[in-house]
Amino acid sequence: MGELISLKNVWKIYREGEENAVFALRDISLIIKKGEFVAIMGPSGSGKSTAMNLIGSLDVPSKGDIFLDGHNISHLSESDLAQIRGKKIGFIFQQFNLIPNLTARENVMLPMIFQGSDEFEREKRAGELLKLVELEDRVDHLPSELSGGQQQRVAIARALANDPEVILADEPTGNLDTKTGEKVMDFLNKLHNQGKTIIIVTHDPNLAIENASTTYWLKDGKIDKITKKKGKNKIVGNEK
Amino acid sequence: MISKEIIKYSIDNLRKRKTRSFLTIFSILIGITTIFIFISFGMGLYTYVNSFVSESSADKVLIQPKGVGVPGIDKTFFFDEEDLDAVKKTSGVYEAEGVQILVVEAEQNNIKKFVFMTAYDPERPLMLEISNLEIYEGRSLTSSDRGKVVLGYNYLIEDKIFPRKLEVNSRIDVDGKSLTVVGFYDSVGNPQDDSNIYITNDYFEDIYPENSDKYDMITARVDTSDIDRVITNLEKELRKSRGLEEGKEDFFVSSFGDLFESYSTSLNIIIGFIVLIALISVIVSAINTANTMITSVLERIKEIGVMKSIGARNSEIFNLYLFESSFLGFIAGVLGVFFGWIFSLVAGNILEGLGWSFLSPYYSVELFIGCILFATITGGISGVIPAISASRVNPVDALRYE
Repeated sequence: MGELISLKNVWKIYREGEENAVFALRDISLIIKKGEFVAIMGPSGSGKSTAMNLIGSLDVPSKGDIFLDGHNISHLSESDLAQIRGKKIGFIFQQFNLIPNLTARENVMLPMIFQGSDEFEREKRAGELLKLVELEDRVDHLPSELSGGQQQRVAIARALANDPEVILADEPTGNLDTKTGEKVMDFLNKLHNQGKTIIIVTHDPNLAIENASTTYWLKDGKIDKITKKKGKNKIVGNEK
Repeated sequence: MISKEIIKYSIDNLRKRKTRSFLTIFSILIGITTIFIFISFGMGLYTYVNSFVSESSADKVLIQPKGVGVPGIDKTFFFDEEDLDAVKKTSGVYEAEGVQILVVEAEQNNIKKFVFMTAYDPERPLMLEISNLEIYEGRSLTSSDRGKVVLGYNYLIEDKIFPRKLEVNSRIDVDGKSLTVVGFYDSVGNPQDDSNIYITNDYFEDIYPENSDKYDMITARVDTSDIDRVITNLEKELRKSRGLEEGKEDFFVSSFGDLFESYSTSLNIIIGFIVLIALISVIVSAINTANTMITSVLERIKEIGVMKSIGARNSEIFNLYLFESSFLGFIAGVLGVFFGWIFSLVAGNILEGLGWSFLSPYYSVELFIGCILFATITGGISGVIPAISASRVNPVDALRYE
């Protein structure tokens, strides 16, 4: 499997140069391969959200380089980053973050608009994706008319809109009860089995261990350890 | 790029904040309505004035007293026969006529009204040509008509001047003399002209001998190829006949071009002033719109973050907000034009009923489109700063925003 995302000696420093500078990430290096299921784990303040923002190209590092599909995206403009995100990365958020006054179908269509696909194609694909997440009977419902689990499934469909290579999920089950959370994870696993690269960011070790093939444990902005799932969960190494 | 979904998203957002959108639209609408009303009436006035210049009045000049009271009321000033002869002899003048104007008391069934009587020479009806008067009913006067009058249009309307309308061949008492009505002129749109009584100058002098050979104004038909030279000549000849030095004239000569120009200038100033006030109100409402849009950006900062995370570029977010504020302006423009149109129609009808039909609005496609476009652009401009701030939102911060 080839490299999809790699972070090379990445630092993220807020208020750099000031007395109260915050070192959110310190010299992080990691490689995510195509088709991998990766979890980024850590307590709050460990830097996992910052890591997600950098991997998801929502932000650029203070130092170091980030490669996505072989391209260095560390110094790109915001608009270029937006295009890359829209095409290659599908986001799933803890709060679902659907646009409240657009229907399920329209929410799923939105990322395709930003990529310039035509209306017929958008509608067709949105319908297929909502069917995939078993919401074909809810296409014209507003987010407020859907349960939390259904909203998160719409968000999954939206994340898949432009057929991205990576699904980046930030605490995807954080706002759901266990059963609904499991269903959402089932979908993510299904997508993984279809060849998508899945990255979840979570503070829940069970979620990470049960699903991810590789888990990066973050602590104080550094990778504390990496766990690989090979039959049984086993720690294979520590990294600074 | 503005897609159907984005338009729906924007309109839904405006609909969701009904009161705020309504107030914003309302504030722009007031200015647009005012602008529409005054421009439509202004254009109506231009059209009215223009009709004089383009028609039979173009080759006429008017000689009037300067700085003295209203013709027909102030009798201390007049042109005499010698002045009229001087005018007639001036080079470039084809013909001239002295016009006598007098306030008279007209009576019908013991109801008395003071109106203007205009006496003119039916052989040379220059005065009528200037006013664009045309017979509506009956006939106009001839030189041999004695004891006969033609009346303005308002005498044909019940309760306008008299409770009962007059007809051809009915009689009207003027200063105690019973005169026969032979015709009516069509409406010219201003109450004074439409209430006039017209009489031949010969008969006028018979019944008002004290006013004979005293003209309140002189009208002349002149060579239009060099009208300024004719005016200079007229001033020179009249100064001579009235024994006045240059610069101390008690009269002034104006061509219709001059009249039109001075009329248009004052009209421009008045309309310009009102439109300026309306423009200020539009600027204030533009600031209000900008404020509304900034609030809207703050409220939707998380949505902006979400859109950016799913691939929206800065320019797309910018367009989205610019569209929203332009759309607000567009709606305000459409409604403003609609209300302005209704208001000016109603006001025009009321004014026409009052005999002021010269104050009737004139509509052109440009006015409708112009007002709507202006409102849309105003809305758009108000949206620029909020749209820039929305487009610059940092997606990481925005997603964290609660």
